[in-house]
Amino acid sequence: MDLAKYRALFLEEATEHLAEMSRACLALEKDPANGEAIDLVFRMAHSIKGMAASLEYDGVTRLAHRLEDRIATFRAAGAVEVPDGMVLLFRGLEALEGMVSVLRDGGESPAPDEALLAALAGSPSTDRGTAKKA
Amino acid sequence: MKRVLIADDASFMRQMIRDIIEPEGFEVVGEAADGVEVVEKFRKLTPDLVMMDIVMPKRSGIDAVKAIKAEDTTARIVMCSALGQEALVTEAIEAGACDFIVKPFKPDAVLTTLRKVVEKADS
Repeated sequence: MDLAKYRALFLEEATEHLAEMSRACLALEKDPANGEAIDLVFRMAHSIKGMAASLEYDGVTRLAHRLEDRIATFRAAGAVEVPDGMVLLFRGLEALEGMVSVLRDGGESPAPDEALLAALAGSPSTDRGTAKKA
Repeated sequence: MKRVLIADDASFMRQMIRDIIEPEGFEVVGEAADGVEVVEKFRKLTPDLVMMDIVMPKRSGIDAVKAIKAEDTTARIVMCSALGQEALVTEAIEAGACDFIVKPFKPDAVLTTLRKVVEKADS
C-alpha cells in the first residue's frame, strides 16, 4: 500500500474536516442545541479517527475517538453542555489541529494530551476545563 | 468480474477500498459520498455489491440499506464499520446488509468478506 499517497490524502481531508468542525463549533457557541452542527462535529471526529487509525497515527486516533464519544453524549442529550462542553469541544479541536499540523510538518505521530483525554472521558477532576491546555 | 459501488464520506476510505479490491478482480463502478447519493447510484449503476459506511451525511448508511433493500431485496451490501459500532452493525444486518468489515481495513479480511458474500450470492 502506498502510504505516502494516503498520508497526503489524510492531511488534505483532515484539514478540511477540522475547518468544518471549527465552523460548527462556532455555530454551537451561538446555539448549543444546533443538531446539525452536533452531527457534523460527530461525523468529522469519526472520520478523522478512521483515517488516522488506518495510518497508525495512534495519538490522533485516541483523541478523535474520545472526542467522538463525548459528542455522542451531547447528541443523545440534544445539546452541548454550556460552558463545560463547549470548552472541551474547542480544546479537542485545537489539540487535533495541533497534532495534524505536526504531521503536516513531517513530524512523528504526536502523543495526545492525557489530561484532555481524561477530561473528554468525563473525569470529574478535569471536566471543568481546568486541565493543562494541549 | 463483480461490480462494486463504494459509499463513504471520506475520499481517503473510498480510495483505500478501491486500492484493496481492484487488483483482486473487483470492478469499482462508482463512488458515493453520502447516504442519498448511494441510493441514487445504486439505481443507476445496478452494482453486484455495495460497500456502505455507517456514518454518512444526509442519510445514514443504515437508512440507505433500508432504502436499497426496499427497492431490491436481492441487493448485496457489506457494511464498513468501526470498533464500537457493534449495535449499529446489528441494526444494519437486521435491515438487510449481508456482512460487515471493520476499520482500519485489513486487506485480507476485506477480500475474504467480499468473496464470501459473492460466493453466497452466486450459489
